[in-house]
Amino acid sequence: MKKFVNDPAKFVPEMLEGIFLANEGKLKYEPKFNIIYRADRPNKSKVSVIQGSGSGHEPAHVMAVGPGMLDAASPGGVFAAPPMEYCYECIKLMNSPQGVLVLINNYQGDRMNWDMAIEMAEAEGIKVKSFIIDDDVAVQNSSYTIGRRGVAGNFFVIKACGAAAERGASLDELLAIATKVNANVRSMGVALTSCTPPAKGKPIFELGEDEIEVGVGIHGEPGRRRDKLKSADKIVDEIFDAVANDLPFKSGDRVALMINGLGGTPPSELYVLYRQAALRCKKAGFNIVRNYVGNYCTSLEMAGASLTLLKLDKDTEALLAAPAEIAVRVF
Amino acid sequence: MKEITLADVETAVKSIAATALKNEQYFCELDSYAGDADFGVSLATGFRIVEKDWSELDRSSIGNFLLKISMIITRNVGGCSGPIWGTGFMRAGALCKERTTITLDDLDKMLAAAIEGIQKRGGAQLGDKTLLDALIPIRDIVHEHVGKPEVDARDVLQRATQVANDAIEGTKGLVAKRGRQQFTGDRSIGTPDPGIVAIATMMNDICAEFGVATPASSHSNN
Repeated sequence: MKKFVNDPAKFVPEMLEGIFLANEGKLKYEPKFNIIYRADRPNKSKVSVIQGSGSGHEPAHVMAVGPGMLDAASPGGVFAAPPMEYCYECIKLMNSPQGVLVLINNYQGDRMNWDMAIEMAEAEGIKVKSFIIDDDVAVQNSSYTIGRRGVAGNFFVIKACGAAAERGASLDELLAIATKVNANVRSMGVALTSCTPPAKGKPIFELGEDEIEVGVGIHGEPGRRRDKLKSADKIVDEIFDAVANDLPFKSGDRVALMINGLGGTPPSELYVLYRQAALRCKKAGFNIVRNYVGNYCTSLEMAGASLTLLKLDKDTEALLAAPAEIAVRVF
Repeated sequence: MKEITLADVETAVKSIAATALKNEQYFCELDSYAGDADFGVSLATGFRIVEKDWSELDRSSIGNFLLKISMIITRNVGGCSGPIWGTGFMRAGALCKERTTITLDDLDKMLAAAIEGIQKRGGAQLGDKTLLDALIPIRDIVHEHVGKPEVDARDVLQRATQVANDAIEGTKGLVAKRGRQQFTGDRSIGTPDPGIVAIATMMNDICAEFGVATPASSHSNN
């Protein structure tokens, strides 16, 4: 393993401290519970929007804290849901008379820790509601399992709810927005390589030189199947079909298209993928109103990408276009 | 050994903590076949603090001791392991807050409560290829001895360890339906479940701690 690490056990806290130092004045950091939050929060006149999930997916979700996005985030260790206490303290810290909205990615650990924390907060009279994000089409819904995973579509739910909360939307209105965006967003990813959590020191799974994992999860969970490496266009065709047919998206739909890097794939390759995805959208009659190409929800240094399509309506379009500022800046 | 004392419970918990720390890498490795390879780290994170705070833990009763263990795990362990293991210790401890000794009848009730709490928290059932597939058979063995005060707890421990070991092989062929392993679907078939292996390994180590001959296990990594 070759990584920039001091002590694997301090990997997440040191990353959080770095994020804080790079944004002093705008963000605050509560090291005891891994909480990064807006310096001007909580704002008692608006709903607080928060999230806490495993680390290793940056910029999701801890670097999505900022005006028009999350008010606070309480990440856990690499690929591990935050302990209940982090979740509970984050709710308490962001407590507002307008309420707290917790956006939870659909993983069992995230759900259980947040469920326990929400129960405790409610017992103290805090107004708090949660919403579960599950946009990954690689996993088929089944009554035997917890269901689809939350992946890059998370970004759109955060963006829409963050913007609406900034405009003064109520907790119930925010839940309705989250429900609508989540119902209209679909994603699927492909991995070219594995990734190595610092504390593990070894790749999380093995993938041959000429192999790809189709439908990979953002923690290296296996996807639909393993395949031989194919051309970029053929890979896009497969995940585009899986994503577009799932909703299904229809000719004439206004959409947001995201090509999300999983951490180890350069922008050049992401744009090669975007090219084919955009061409496929044109062919299918989807009108790309907004596009996103870059790292939004990663899996450490995994080479790979995911494709996300979001069906838009006027309200969602306006929420996506609203100003926002987060810890990751391009200029 | 007719009664289980606070000292016995302490010995068992200390042994469980040592097993978790000693097998940190191994449990991660097992979790990497079908899960996300963090199980060993999660478990060790909690039990490392149990070891660190060992001398200061509340020993006023078996229940208070177990509740303290639960609190350490719930507060410090994320992922699925924190809520699941924390809930187990909490439910068991809540039943014996006033007791410094317990009988097998009490242990039976404590295990049943822990199992019920874990099922409620994670939604898993027997056969979903989770640690419940080891815990439920263990509890069944203890339950067989309810109302038989003449039984030696050591014999029960040995039999319970045997069924935990059997659960490893017995569930290998199943599809994991809970936790992150569920996403691997059929690919989880043929691999042992890390939670079941952890329970079995802990049971074997507890046997060794109490001088009880351990049944054969192909999976301990000591």
